[in-house]
Amino acid sequence: MRDLFTEIWESVRRNKLRTCLTGFAVSWGIFMLIVLLGAGNGLMNSFMQGGGDFASNSVSVGGGWTSKPYDGLKSGRRITLDDTDVSLTASEQFLDHVDKVSATVGANATISYGKKYFSGYIDGQYPAVQEMSKVEILHGRFLNDKDIDLSRKVVVMPESTAEKLLDNGQSPATLIGKYVKVGGLAFRVVGISKSERMRNDNNLYAPFTTVKTVYGKGKDVGSISFTTKGLNTKADNEAFEKQYKSVINLHHRAAPDDERAIWVWNRAEQDVQMKQGRSILSTALWIIGLFTLLGGIVGVSNIMLITVKERTHEFGIRKAIGASPWAVTKLIISESVCITAFFGYIGMFLGMLTCTLLDKTLGQAKMSLMDQQIAMLVDPGVGLDVAIEATLVLIIAGTLAGLFPARKAAGVRPIEALRAE
Amino acid sequence: MLIELKDVNKTYNNGQPLHVLKGINLSIDKGEFVSIMGASGSGKSTLLNIIGILDNYDTGEYYIDGRLIKGLSEKQAADYRNRLIGFIFQSFNLIGFKTAVENVELPLFYQGVSRSRRHALAMDYLDRLGLADWAGHYPNEMSGGQKQRVAIARALITNPKIILADEPTGALDSKTSEEVMQLLGKLNREEGVTIIVVTHESGVANCTDKIVHIKDGIIGRIEDNREHRASMFGTDTIMK
Ligand SMILES: Nc1ncnc2c1ncn2[C@@H]1O[C@H](COP(=O)(O)OP(=O)(O)OP(=O)(O)O)[C@@H](O)[C@H]1O
Ligand SMILES: [Mg+2]
Repeated sequence: MRDLFTEIWESVRRNKLRTCLTGFAVSWGIFMLIVLLGAGNGLMNSFMQGGGDFASNSVSVGGGWTSKPYDGLKSGRRITLDDTDVSLTASEQFLDHVDKVSATVGANATISYGKKYFSGYIDGQYPAVQEMSKVEILHGRFLNDKDIDLSRKVVVMPESTAEKLLDNGQSPATLIGKYVKVGGLAFRVVGISKSERMRNDNNLYAPFTTVKTVYGKGKDVGSISFTTKGLNTKADNEAFEKQYKSVINLHHRAAPDDERAIWVWNRAEQDVQMKQGRSILSTALWIIGLFTLLGGIVGVSNIMLITVKERTHEFGIRKAIGASPWAVTKLIISESVCITAFFGYIGMFLGMLTCTLLDKTLGQAKMSLMDQQIAMLVDPGVGLDVAIEATLVLIIAGTLAGLFPARKAAGVRPIEALRAE
Repeated sequence: MLIELKDVNKTYNNGQPLHVLKGINLSIDKGEFVSIMGASGSGKSTLLNIIGILDNYDTGEYYIDGRLIKGLSEKQAADYRNRLIGFIFQSFNLIGFKTAVENVELPLFYQGVSRSRRHALAMDYLDRLGLADWAGHYPNEMSGGQKQRVAIARALITNPKIILADEPTGALDSKTSEEVMQLLGKLNREEGVTIIVVTHESGVANCTDKIVHIKDGIIGRIEDNREHRASMFGTDTIMK
């Protein structure tokens, strides 16, 4: 092995400039591949994060309008979800696939604290919503089961909402334990959550039961959300949705196959689409990157050919004194792989460095889109898997680049080479 | 017989077919010191290349130590060359970017001998040829005679049965030529190596024990020269 590297080094040393120029093309190819994939990842991460405020296995259900007559009732009827739907969702029949169930009711209300006020929305929720909507608590706590059981008048508000109620410079944490007025009633602030990009900032979380009694919604429920389990494929998800709709529809005397009586928003399905999009994008980027790399490979193949031509006499000597064709082939292919790998790694390193720079610059830049702040790139860069794949690509590319020149070198006839003087 | 050629024919087919060897019959025994003489273009180098398994022949038979050398794969031919034959060329054919000792080591590298062992052996051979001080030098830092001695060391290092030399003194002055020939003679006498030298210099041929004359692709006269009196220029000088 050491002998092989010595030989390669001797050869490369004699052709420094030529090797570096060609090596640059390889570096560039790998650099482009890494940067493209890294930026692509950043872009996809940004999309993912846009929809990332919900757990990927969460389902939201709301009332709709019937689209076909059923059981003597006309189509176009408004369906409002109610308590029975909540218990149906949590019932035995869906036990295999439904995990945590939560329901919401809500009402608009003026929220005030001292002299400050704003008009907001009080969102009656179950504690399970924390996990489903990925609510992050900064101070205090989120709603708990006791709040639900006792219909406590407590609220959890986003940081930005809290700031609206406070004088400049006051920490939102100071609101914890204080009472704010929600539509005339005093609610105690138990927690401050992190403001979310995808959610209306004027939303306050309060216990479902409290909001329901206070705002007298009777049996009606705004929406139901739940997390699913054991639904691994698209088919699983579709079958479950179909069954779920038929059960809820029947409860409202709507056709079991009515698609519009209730609406069901299944994050899992969207997730599948996201993943597909991601893989299409990365395939496209790989192809572009590989074509860029191809230029470098042709270059390496080219200098190897020139090298072989220059060294014909030397290979003749080697073969005359006992080098087998394979020994010569090995020499050329290893040289080609070494050049490709060496410059490839330089490119890979610079590519990763650039991804880090992208993260520091574009990754911090926010884009305003439909009132939301979206980072253009989130965590651009490539993982270890891509580094390993790229290494494999380099080795294969180097071998391919060396193959033709090596065959030429191995085919050198010693007498002809020795005569060529 | 170490080397046996029976009715060997060789035709070059580049454009005009050229029948260079027209039925060569030649036997060389182990331990002989033979020269092959002939006019330019008579086929000396062609014959030597066939003996050295560097080239193929068309018809006939060629045996080394009773083994028929015909239709060998490249790998096999390389292996035979490596183990059985040492080459010395007119233009030395050392590898320019390798030092003397690295050049000498090379045949052992292809035998898979370990680094330290082949270095020690190469130094040993260079020492025997009086070149120990030149081990680290590159060929272009050496005189012709020194280069040829490095080449001889390289030919000897695998301990081959046969040494083939094509015009080994062709690029050397008369004094160095004589030194080289004396060196070969000594190797032949003391180590019993079979040596075949191609030359068109009678002085060089005179240093050998047997002179094979080749003319128009066939073996002519075979002179017994154990008395070393063939050269008209005297017995112990090589005139240039
Ligand atoms: N590869 C080849 N293709 C075609 N013809 C060749 C080839 N090699 C040698 N010849 C021809 O074969 C003949 C014999 O060549 P060879 O080299 O054996 O002669 P030689 O006796 O060694 O001559 P010299 O003393 O000049 O070296 C020459 O006429 C030469 O031109
Ligand atoms: Mg010749």
